Amino acid sequence: MSFLKKSQIKSPWLMHFDCGSCNGCDIETLACLTPVYDVERFGIINVGNPRHADVLVVTGTVNPRNAVILKNIYDQMPTPKLVIAVGACGCSGGVFREAPNVLGGIDKVIPVDVYVPGCPAKPEAIMDAVVTGLAKLKGILEESK
Amino acid sequence: MNLTTFYLAVAGLVLAPLLGGLVAGVDRVVTARLQSRMGPPLLQPFYDVGKLMSKVIAPASQWQGLFVRWALVASLASDVLLAAGADVLMCFFVQAASACFVALGAFSGSSPYSKLGAQRELFQMLSYEPVFLVCILCMAKASGGFDAYSMMGASAQPLLYKMPLIIPGLIFVVLVKMRKSPFDIAASHHMHQEVVRGVYTDYAGRDFALLEIAHWADVVVVLWICSFLWATGPLQMVAVAAVTLFVALVIDNISARLTWRHMVKVAAPLSLVLATANLLWLYVE
Repeated sequence: MSFLKKSQIKSPWLMHFDCGSCNGCDIETLACLTPVYDVERFGIINVGNPRHADVLVVTGTVNPRNAVILKNIYDQMPTPKLVIAVGACGCSGGVFREAPNVLGGIDKVIPVDVYVPGCPAKPEAIMDAVVTGLAKLKGILEESK
Repeated sequence: MNLTTFYLAVAGLVLAPLLGGLVAGVDRVVTARLQSRMGPPLLQPFYDVGKLMSKVIAPASQWQGLFVRWALVASLASDVLLAAGADVLMCFFVQAASACFVALGAFSGSSPYSKLGAQRELFQMLSYEPVFLVCILCMAKASGGFDAYSMMGASAQPLLYKMPLIIPGLIFVVLVKMRKSPFDIAASHHMHQEVVRGVYTDYAGRDFALLEIAHWADVVVVLWICSFLWATGPLQMVAVAAVTLFVALVIDNISARLTWRHMVKVAAPLSLVLATANLLWLYVE
């Protein structure tokens, strides 16, 4: 594998979007940056700009208002990109899926690569999801050579 | 120009960005250790640039690609000038041109954060350039010449003894150029802040990768000029650069970001007055 392709797997910059979460999963996502979990040892950086991001981590349910914003952020990210839906709400809408204003999980709006169950999802599970997503990306890159 | 100078210039062109990348790697590992973390691998900045190189994204403006390439050329040129023993003032002005191109590219983008960052970049230049200029004038006065070789081979006595008052100024310049707290005003080095990534917000993909390489080249130039303070031998110069880097990292980790007003009104005038006092002392002596 060439250096450029290897770099894509070794340097995932992560953007976190709260799409209407209760903040439980957001706290767990940000906990990954703390010295206890230290995701930077995998080259992961938490960025605030979709143009710099490789992985979009989305928490919470989608409703008609934030669906537009979610799609906009996804479209601004450079390819190849990964999307990770975190928490029960992000995966399927969770306990809110029958609510009149809720469309459902993230996959109703943008394609999702990895689902992380849990309410809230554990930091270990979120890190595992990133690693799973990167393995998927590696497969895509190897096929494309 | 003789053949040795040519080889040195080529070495400067090739080695300076590589060295800058290593400095960025050391920076991230040391910062992580200061925060009780493991930190990324030493070569992580190279992986980051390689990743950015392979990304596919449309530029925010048709001008950005041009400005980024000019910024990279100017930054590498300042390294080449220093390696070839040219005029340090010339190297300083060429590097200032690089910062201008970065700001111009950011101004041509569409994001308000990018434009805000570009304005802050100009404020930074307004603050550190005079300080850096006076520091270089001090070194030139004490060593008897403006070319890099006369500063590097000044005398048995290090230049530092003759210019203790430029230390705050040089630290200020290093912090601004390395985009470190409390003066990471234009680009917010640690992301997720109120200006997103400031001057870098609109750059993405290959353009951002080239800009990162230009930044590495800039950092090498600034640390190299700092190392003139104790240029009694190559090892001593590397040691001075390492100490300067470590001091910058410690300050970065123990301080919060100041406002641009504080930088323009307090930090810059204070370090400029100290450096100018040192220059006058050198002339009077």
